[in-house]
Amino acid sequence: MSARPRFTHVIHASARVLLLAGVLMLLSVLAGAPAAVAQDAAATPAGTSTGSFVPPAAEVQNDASPLHPTFALLDVDGANVLESGKPVSPMQSCGACHDTSFIAQHSFHSDLGLSDFGRTDIEVAQPWDQSRGLFGRWDPLTNRTLSPEGAVQLDLSTAEWLMKFGAFVPGGGPATTARNGAALTTLPPDAANPEASLLAADGSVQAWDWQQSGVVEMDCFVCHLAQPDAAARAATMAAGDFAWANTASLSATGIVSRTAEGFAWQPAAFGEDGKLLPAFVQIQDPTNENCAACHGVVHTDAKQPLVFNACDLTQPQTATTGQVVSPQLISQSGINMADKASLNRPWDVHAERALKCTDCHYAINNPVHAQEAAGKQPDHLTYDPRRLELGEYLQRPNHELARGASAQFMIDEGQKGSMRRCESCHAAQETHSDWLPYTERHIEVLACESCHIPSMNAPAIESVDWTVVQADGTPVTQCRGIEGSDTVNGLVTGYEPVLMQRTNVDGDTMLAPYNLISAWYWVFDEAGGADGAAVPAPVRQQDLAAVYLENGSYAPAILAAFDANSDGALDTQELVIDSDAKVALVTERLEALGLSNPRIEAQTQPYSINHSVTRDEWVTRECQACHDNDSRVAAGLSLSNRTPGGVVPTFVADNNVTPSGTFESTNGALRYQPAPEADGIYIFGHNRVAWIDWFGALLFAGTLLAVIVHGSLRFVAAMRRPRHAHKLKRVYMYQAYERFWHWLQTITIIILLFTGLIIHRPDIFGIFSFPHVVTVHNVLAAILVINASLSLFWHLAGGEIRQYIPRPYGFFDQAIEQTKYYIQGIFRDDPHPFAKSRDRHLNPLQQVTYFGILNVLLPLQVITGALMWGVQRWPQFANALGGLPFLAPFHSLVAWTFASFIVGHVYLTTTGERPLSGIQAMVTGWEEVAAEGAHAAEAPAAPSVTAAPGLASSTQA
Amino acid sequence: MDTKSGNKRRWLWMIGLVAIMAAIAVPLYLLWPRTAAATMDPWQNVPTHAVHTSHADIIKGPFETPQQVTQACLECHEDAASEVMHTTHWTWESEAVSVPWRDDPVTIGKKNTINNFCIGTQGNERTCMSCHAGYGWSDADFDFSNSSNVDCLVCHADLATYGKGDYGLPTEAVDLVEAAQSVRAPTRDNCGACHFDGGGGNNVKHGDLDESLYFPSGELDVHMGANNFLCTDCHQTEAHAIKGKLLADNFTIDPAKQVACTDCHAADLHADDRINEHVDTVACQTCHVPSMALKNPTKTVWDWSTAGQDLPEDHYSYLKIKGNFVYEKDVTPSYEWFNGNLAYRYLLGDTIVPTETTLLNPPAGSIEEPAAKIFPFKIHRANQPYDVNYNYLLQPITSGEGGFWTTFDWKSSFELAQERIGLPFSGEYGFARTDMHWPVTHMVQPKEGALQCDDCHSAGGRMDWEALGYPGDPMEWGGRFDDQPTASR
Repeated sequence: MSARPRFTHVIHASARVLLLAGVLMLLSVLAGAPAAVAQDAAATPAGTSTGSFVPPAAEVQNDASPLHPTFALLDVDGANVLESGKPVSPMQSCGACHDTSFIAQHSFHSDLGLSDFGRTDIEVAQPWDQSRGLFGRWDPLTNRTLSPEGAVQLDLSTAEWLMKFGAFVPGGGPATTARNGAALTTLPPDAANPEASLLAADGSVQAWDWQQSGVVEMDCFVCHLAQPDAAARAATMAAGDFAWANTASLSATGIVSRTAEGFAWQPAAFGEDGKLLPAFVQIQDPTNENCAACHGVVHTDAKQPLVFNACDLTQPQTATTGQVVSPQLISQSGINMADKASLNRPWDVHAERALKCTDCHYAINNPVHAQEAAGKQPDHLTYDPRRLELGEYLQRPNHELARGASAQFMIDEGQKGSMRRCESCHAAQETHSDWLPYTERHIEVLACESCHIPSMNAPAIESVDWTVVQADGTPVTQCRGIEGSDTVNGLVTGYEPVLMQRTNVDGDTMLAPYNLISAWYWVFDEAGGADGAAVPAPVRQQDLAAVYLENGSYAPAILAAFDANSDGALDTQELVIDSDAKVALVTERLEALGLSNPRIEAQTQPYSINHSVTRDEWVTRECQACHDNDSRVAAGLSLSNRTPGGVVPTFVADNNVTPSGTFESTNGALRYQPAPEADGIYIFGHNRVAWIDWFGALLFAGTLLAVIVHGSLRFVAAMRRPRHAHKLKRVYMYQAYERFWHWLQTITIIILLFTGLIIHRPDIFGIFSFPHVVTVHNVLAAILVINASLSLFWHLAGGEIRQYIPRPYGFFDQAIEQTKYYIQGIFRDDPHPFAKSRDRHLNPLQQVTYFGILNVLLPLQVITGALMWGVQRWPQFANALGGLPFLAPFHSLVAWTFASFIVGHVYLTTTGERPLSGIQAMVTGWEEVAAEGAHAAEAPAAPSVTAAPGLASSTQA
Repeated sequence: MDTKSGNKRRWLWMIGLVAIMAAIAVPLYLLWPRTAAATMDPWQNVPTHAVHTSHADIIKGPFETPQQVTQACLECHEDAASEVMHTTHWTWESEAVSVPWRDDPVTIGKKNTINNFCIGTQGNERTCMSCHAGYGWSDADFDFSNSSNVDCLVCHADLATYGKGDYGLPTEAVDLVEAAQSVRAPTRDNCGACHFDGGGGNNVKHGDLDESLYFPSGELDVHMGANNFLCTDCHQTEAHAIKGKLLADNFTIDPAKQVACTDCHAADLHADDRINEHVDTVACQTCHVPSMALKNPTKTVWDWSTAGQDLPEDHYSYLKIKGNFVYEKDVTPSYEWFNGNLAYRYLLGDTIVPTETTLLNPPAGSIEEPAAKIFPFKIHRANQPYDVNYNYLLQPITSGEGGFWTTFDWKSSFELAQERIGLPFSGEYGFARTDMHWPVTHMVQPKEGALQCDDCHSAGGRMDWEALGYPGDPMEWGGRFDDQPTASR
């Protein structure tokens, strides 16, 4: 290497160190250092105390590759730019080693939707969309329609698209290639061709000469340079100077400088061999800042408080969702934020943990990251070592970047879901199972983001109203999560995203967080379709301005209709189409422009939220955040404080989000209310079926009422008649085990009913810990089942089960007699129709009741309960029976029935000889019963079981 | 039924009830979700303060001399003076120890070593001894066995009533009776009077100990600020021996006997395992003291070579008596391996290589040493006088009559030193670079203010990994305890 480059390199690499040293030297000179230096020189050997005291400053670090060789900058013809003076061609320069044409062909960033043109097998959001990408998909936020071939009115030509959206266009694709695949430079200038024309500010259409403007090749530098000058590049594109756009990216490197005429290559940056000097080769893997240039707010300087603009469309990802990728603590940012001091968490935990965008969104064939899709490899292999060598990869890096399955656009479907998701890196099961009950169920239903992105701390766009225009031609835009207009003087309050059902690439559905942006706009029928058929198209901004404005201020007719307070000006409150008269007025003025059938349409676009992730105590993790009346899962989201023309939006359909909720309108304001139950999700403590609760409550109250009335009548009757002493005998009615299992069952059922009620209505019983109540309910249910099983075995083994089986012979007669006794005889103090004995202590009514309770209701309750408990482990069984939305309400219904039964059951125990003799018997085993019932002799003899000591049955009523 | 069996039955159903309750309670207990075992309660090791006994009615006076105050104290606290006299607050030197670079055992302490601030105390007793816990240390002949010279008041008096001046004697304004009546357990005021102003002024020396800690805010220090700790809550004291020594400068203190965060806190208390993995390699202070000199700037550079000139004076940049300085605020510490010991301590008379920076007290430890951890240091860089012919650092007489601060004549100050402390001066002096390491351990931040991952593990991170001995960021290149990556995926 020659001496010159080496020297330059040294200067560059340690420039900051030297600068600091220089500043310090200057300071010491001011402080009297010259004398000191002189003294030093006299008193000390050379070199002992010269130089500065500044601690060696850490070398300025960037991620520039230490290995990337120097290279020549070539123009489009392959000549060195230093000699030709022409714009740099990344395809030629980088193409000397990398297969740039392969890269450009395998990059959605380059394509931007161009390859969708001419395809008929794709689903687009709107009839006027031509693709699913930035090039060809209409976005209501910017409201410019890329004019199709044959459009009657030119809206957005290819050239203007490049000028307007240049900041988001890396180049190549539609920036070099026409929709039919030809090079743009082959198109003759033609005002009638939307690919070779331009809509001028005065409304006239001009031809565009691509030969003169040049095109924008895919720009490697804008992503792979440490400090690309994105602003200069965008400005160059906005000026239509396309050929120089990629050269402008290098403006901040010292390789090229801006002159009055254009750009001039700086020879000082080049070596004698015509290649860049090493210091100027700052090539790197894309950093977060590179991605941020187009995508959204990224911030890496921890010491510099983060500041950004609210709802700024130059940072689309942040403007549309509030996602901010920064390791900085929110509390240390420069944003004026509600409750900021308490937000001691990073904006994004992955940024804080030093992950880069490219760690997840990597080049799809990068051998460092690429992994075989699960299940793709044969069973006998866990790892296949045959993969791309690094050299091969570097030559042909596939620039399709791994991505998730976001809702925004159905673009780049080949890579959809190619990215590692949360669970690819995180062992969610491990980290949640020790505290989150029903972990699998929660993970199955909820995307990680639903809890780990509990709220957005930055504002996001809420709605845009293009049915009107402000005096500067812009729409009325609403921003959510902020009071006031900007993030420094206003107050950022943030917002909670709405949870909506998302269908993953693999078909799984889960709830995930979204922002919803609604847009209202005018559509007309354009006679531009095949055979002159009318096709709908959004009204051009130019036409809209013509309707509302005259010479830069509102037209008198508009002012008359909209100026509610007659102050001669329209503020955003007034600037709304909220009456039929206003609709008619604007419609009429649009028609006057020759637009056929103008009408207001509206759409709501979900924007998925996957960044700004948090952890630990910042996550939604309280059970009652969801398991309550005000469930996080069912929390609605405001859509707009206006409904222009009364048009309720429809959800944009070309995505993987299922909007199962409803639009709710109050005083013109719109709100989206999710309905998780419509997605097959039943949230305990939140969801309930109204009629079941009403029915159950009425059953319970009715039973209670009947018992009170019957008991009162009995009491009155007993008071009126003389006390009559029946002939009594003491019978050992219940054996110890019977009493044990009965009372165990009693306590478990009562606690189960109560805990079940708490789980059902945590809003009423807020003092109980929801997860603990669930634990108690589950454990007691298990005890109940075991207890019931052992008891059943005991009854079967001893033959005691027969007591429970109604005997067909004479059953109805006996039942009627027993009923008559309860209705009449009991008030007359008649003897019980059937004497209670150890062998027969259930009367026919009891038999049929218990038969129903124990053989129908209890098994049903056990089975539904078990299925609900097992829903996380064996969801297929629960789903086969209708899933939680069926099982849970059914379980509630049966529970109501049980509760009602208990009331009646307890009451009937008091119908014995003395009110408490029945209960006493169940405690002590001994009961005093009438010596003879009315039909005691007729009672069919139970099989002799007295041999088994104390065998008798359980409950009595 | 007879009464007897009736009683038996009553007893039986009680048994049944207990059995039922057990059938419910036992499974519930066994299946109850368990939270993680409770971690160490840090408050358990924080001492409770003794009830203060006012001495206002006990001390009568009058006192002619401060020594009389000490004698009055000793009437009740008989052992106090002899306890103090065994501590370095009194002796200012260690027991004699063997060090690798000297043949004979040496003692090390303020008494005989030098630093790169005001350089040395010997011969400069008039000023330096204002921080000695005794009275009247005016020269090498000070009687260390005279218990009356122990200064009880500097640690126990309310410093609104007491202050020390020349040779450690109370200033003339002090009312000894009032001061003696004010005695109580030491507060941050007492310790801070010397330790906050070390090096000759507020926060000059330490960086993490300064006068802002008299009334610290919660953000300044979680212990002293948010929880109003006294120094002695951590530097717990037994028989006047105060635990902890910031500068392990004498090879005599066992690092294990220092004050440690883990005295009260479990090392692995972080909720995040990833952070717990750090504690074998990273000292608590590294993350929890992200910055020092939060309120008051600290001196980071001191160039003695420009002293004595008639230049514009400014406390923070140049003083005629001291030369040029650099003060810095909100200083990011330097990070080095540290096992709690020093690798070397410059002793008076040790030769130096004047063309190189002499590390007066380099910390011991390296990446290979498992016990060493990455620790934050304040590094104080100086240019201080040395003898050009003998190649050792010189200790000038600065304060007092004939000192440099009066004469502004270096040579005479070194000649005076030769006379007083016996360090030969060849007659030719120069200035050589020295560095001192000051461990940073106060101004502790709770988790909200601690370092985050990206503070170190990012392109602009604060660690110089290669200087620490790593091939690169251990997040990517692997830590020192990591096994070599294996073939398993």
